[in-house]
Amino acid sequence: MSYEKKLMEKNSKGEPSTDRLDIPLLKYLWDASPLSFLTKESYHDFFKKVSVLSSFSDNEIRLFTKFLHRREFMTNEVIFKQGDSGYGFYFIFSGSVNIFANHYPQNEDQGEFIIRLDKRQYFGEMGLLEEFNRRSATVTAAENTVLLGIFKPDLERMLEQYPVLGAKFLGETSLIMANRMGQLTREIIVLKKKVKELEQRI
Amino acid sequence: MNRNQKIKLYLFLFLLAATIIFAIMFPRLTLPFGFAYIIYLMSRPFTLRLTTGSRKQRLSYFVLIMISLTFLCFPLIATIYNSDTDFGSLSNQLPEIQRVLQDKFFAIKVKVFEKYGIRINLDPVSYIMAKLESQGTVLISQFPNYLSSLFEWLLLVPLFLYFFFMESRRFSRNFLEAIPNPIFEKSYVLFSQFNAKFGEYIIAKFIEATIVGTLVTVGLLLIGFPYPFILGFVAGITNILPYIGPVIGFVPAFFIALLSKDPSVSMLGMVIIYGLANLIDMILVFPLLVSKIVNLHPIVVVVSIVIGSQLAGIVGMIVIIPFIAFFKLLFKEIYKDLSVHL
Repeated sequence: MSYEKKLMEKNSKGEPSTDRLDIPLLKYLWDASPLSFLTKESYHDFFKKVSVLSSFSDNEIRLFTKFLHRREFMTNEVIFKQGDSGYGFYFIFSGSVNIFANHYPQNEDQGEFIIRLDKRQYFGEMGLLEEFNRRSATVTAAENTVLLGIFKPDLERMLEQYPVLGAKFLGETSLIMANRMGQLTREIIVLKKKVKELEQRI
Repeated sequence: MNRNQKIKLYLFLFLLAATIIFAIMFPRLTLPFGFAYIIYLMSRPFTLRLTTGSRKQRLSYFVLIMISLTFLCFPLIATIYNSDTDFGSLSNQLPEIQRVLQDKFFAIKVKVFEKYGIRINLDPVSYIMAKLESQGTVLISQFPNYLSSLFEWLLLVPLFLYFFFMESRRFSRNFLEAIPNPIFEKSYVLFSQFNAKFGEYIIAKFIEATIVGTLVTVGLLLIGFPYPFILGFVAGITNILPYIGPVIGFVPAFFIALLSKDPSVSMLGMVIIYGLANLIDMILVFPLLVSKIVNLHPIVVVVSIVIGSQLAGIVGMIVIIPFIAFFKLLFKEIYKDLSVHL
């Protein structure tokens, strides 16, 4: 009788099962299997699901990943601080990050919590495009996090070696910026309205 | 920063300091390594274009490189080809030069004595000639050492070059991965900028030296001045040093013109040739090629050259400029950061 049948019989009779499944051992054996890499997400699969790069072909993603840097951060580790010089754009490969903004830079604390970004989201695109960028917020790792970063020298190299790919990536990054700008404009309009209303009430 | 991150950062800084100390302690390894690195940086833009793009683009770029190399190598080959005869006749003329210089100095001594009654008991010409002779003897006695270090370089430089071309990508990736997170972004950008500046500067100076050397050689050939290839070569090489270089390069030609008894040797023509070559360099070549790469104040450049010569001789004089440009960049970044965080 197979192991599974024995267990099912015991369960149907209402007998307690003395045997316990050793999950960590099973997990270890599964991970050690030569086919285990199939279960792990490759950079290629990852970027296929990132909305910004959805228009990239398989070969373009392969070339794009050549220019990336893998950086690992522990829980609560600061990725960058508000006011730091910014040079890079990060994709969250695994884990998540918290974004804080300090409205009073003279205060030493990291400021008010703004948003949490998860896997496949991105941040820091201004650092890649602006000439003298200062980070506008502090970003910390909310858990153990792996980021894939692309920096100014990488973009320059990409434009030099694969101009079409570089232009395509810049186009996508500009789109993100344009979307953010649109969002900001809308928020400013709402805020202005509110200020006007408040002024009228006073 | 938690404890682990701090340990990682200090360990990285310690390893970096240890590498620098090792490099200073073993110049026999560091110098060929640095030389190979310079060649690698210089060739990187070309190899990049030869390995990417369409076949037509690569082929046209290859042809362009070949034409440029032929143009760049011409003065060097011509100098080597003519150096035997030029050096031979120059060394044959040395006793004559010494005699003429002694005569001129004696005339000055007589004039000073007649006018002011002061007797000059110095003999600088004999002193300089004796010094030159002893230096020559030292040079000959040290020749086996130079030869052995030349063989060492011939072995090490290609080896390091092979390493740079084949392994540099993997090596720099591993090195970058080892940089702790808090200093990664800035270090990476500065490291890239330094590489770019250094490579561009060396290429630019090499092209500038070739243009000046060729102009002087062709000019001197046209006016029938003696030793045009050697003088052109010296003018080109010394031109690598900003500000001081052109003056040093001019001195040998000046003395040759001064001491020559041949009426066809024109001092005025030679001065015009050197002046024109340096004018073209100042107006066209330098602003187009070099000034954008190294934006330093002239005083900083001159002081840097003096420091470079004291630290590492002629090599130091050449490579100190991009290093200073890099330090300027580094201090600017640190200052910018401090002004935000303070």
